[in-house]
Amino acid sequence: MISGEEERMDAAGIPYMIRPGKGPEGSVLDLLGQLIGSGGADALLLPFRVPSGDSFAWIMFSDVSLLKDAVPFPATMPVQGGRALRSLTRKEKGKLRIIALMRPCEIRAGMELSKLGQVNTENLILASYDCPGAVKLEDYVADPVSCDSAHSEMRSRGEPSGNARSACSTCVDFSMVDADIHFGYFGIKDGGMLVLPGSPAGRALLEGLNLEEGRGLLPQWEAEISRLAERRAATREETFRETAERISGFDGMLATFSNCIGCHNCQSACPICYCRLCYFDSEVSRTDPEALITAAEKRGGISIPPDRIMFHTGRLAHMSLSCVSCGQCSDACPVSIPVADVFSFVAERTQRAFDYKSGRSDGEALPLRRFLKNELDGVHEMVKDAESEASPNE
Amino acid sequence: MSEWQPRILAILCNWCSYAGADLAGVSRIQYPPNIRVVRVPCSGRVDPLFILKSLQAGFDGVLVSGCHPGDCHYISGNYVARRRFAILKPLLEFVGIEPDRVQFSWISAGEGERFATVVTKVVEDVRKLGPSKRIVKKA
Ligand code: SF4
Ligand code: SF4
Repeated sequence: MISGEEERMDAAGIPYMIRPGKGPEGSVLDLLGQLIGSGGADALLLPFRVPSGDSFAWIMFSDVSLLKDAVPFPATMPVQGGRALRSLTRKEKGKLRIIALMRPCEIRAGMELSKLGQVNTENLILASYDCPGAVKLEDYVADPVSCDSAHSEMRSRGEPSGNARSACSTCVDFSMVDADIHFGYFGIKDGGMLVLPGSPAGRALLEGLNLEEGRGLLPQWEAEISRLAERRAATREETFRETAERISGFDGMLATFSNCIGCHNCQSACPICYCRLCYFDSEVSRTDPEALITAAEKRGGISIPPDRIMFHTGRLAHMSLSCVSCGQCSDACPVSIPVADVFSFVAERTQRAFDYKSGRSDGEALPLRRFLKNELDGVHEMVKDAESEASPNE
Repeated sequence: MSEWQPRILAILCNWCSYAGADLAGVSRIQYPPNIRVVRVPCSGRVDPLFILKSLQAGFDGVLVSGCHPGDCHYISGNYVARRRFAILKPLLEFVGIEPDRVQFSWISAGEGERFATVVTKVVEDVRKLGPSKRIVKKA
């Protein structure tokens, strides 16, 4: 991860820094205000607290006087930012040049959606920040005040704590991703912050701002990021091991999803599932009553409706290549099924099979958009058997 | 009493495998009567859901067959299909569906003999496995 960042940094230009004083949140908002002021962008897309106080909403605005009410690092993730980007640019590139400040997994979802033709990044400036993880939505709605303080504690330690999502404890892409600008603050003393350009567009914007050169802060930030990444990688391995055990075989999968109420919240909350009408919500997906009776007769009994495992397996087959492991699905599940653990686990395997990693820059084609002529022989291995059996006749 | 017979859904591409099946028929080559054929324009049209749905609907096995590599009527549909199946296969194993229940093959329009061989093999493989109980679970 770190070496990739170095390469990107070399390509994108030198890092800048902001001195301690306002703390990361204040510094980020200041800097975004300056970018709008300098004409570098037309509008900002940032989270704001909703009036009821127990959640956040994406607001697009250009009036910098609103900035003071924005919450740049919200404790929880009610609407995945990738979705917000899609709402803005799903038809064509945005008419306004918008700077969006989002968690790394939200930007990675945006990248996947861009490859899927659902987001147009041309007029977007994507800014990410060191993410300690998000608090579970359920916990947040129940007690925003203590969750806010738990989250600020998480930010200062750089690590998810008890009421963070499981997806965050296993997240190894919590820092710089393929964004235009990254705000790095983990491991930097006294609330100083690094401002890292991640693309030529990001560099061009930052160059106009008279920021102080920040190379000096790099080593402490990098050291802290790799320390934290190692710890999260260890949790990841452990969680995957448990997940593999839990879901293995039909009975394991069935047990894991046995209390699923079929609400499809996990799918509606997923930033990657973008189909306007999902097959699983369509009429054709419903099993014919006749067929249910036949099946019940054949097997002595069936569970009704019968589609639970089919729904989850189907969704895994459809989107595990693009899953960014953000954890929205688990957060949306009313019966606390660890949907994201299962999806991340499978996603890592399917992506690895194609040497692919979801959420990397726009330029990389999706695995199902490319192929090699000689690959994956095993898929048709049976043909070879048949061939050798067939040859005597020929 | 008639003994249990596997029911296999064969999803065949129009340009190669379906024509191969046709040739098998025209040439009066014998193969087991356990398959039901669905014709699709290209193996690239086969969504993993078709396979899941067939199993759920009570088929004991599924055979998907397309043109040989390099012969796709749409140039690359079968290569993409191969990638898709590469994802589906381990997933099926994960949810406990025996690998031999779902098989993929390439059969060209001229390979009537081969069509019969492949179908025979799939039917025998599935017969060994017995009736499919998966996807729709016993209560
Ligand atoms: S998965 Fe969690 S820790 Fe990783 S970027 Fe998203 S919110 Fe942050
Ligand atoms: S959100 Fe939970 S209960 Fe609803 S469909 Fe998904 S796994 Fe099932």
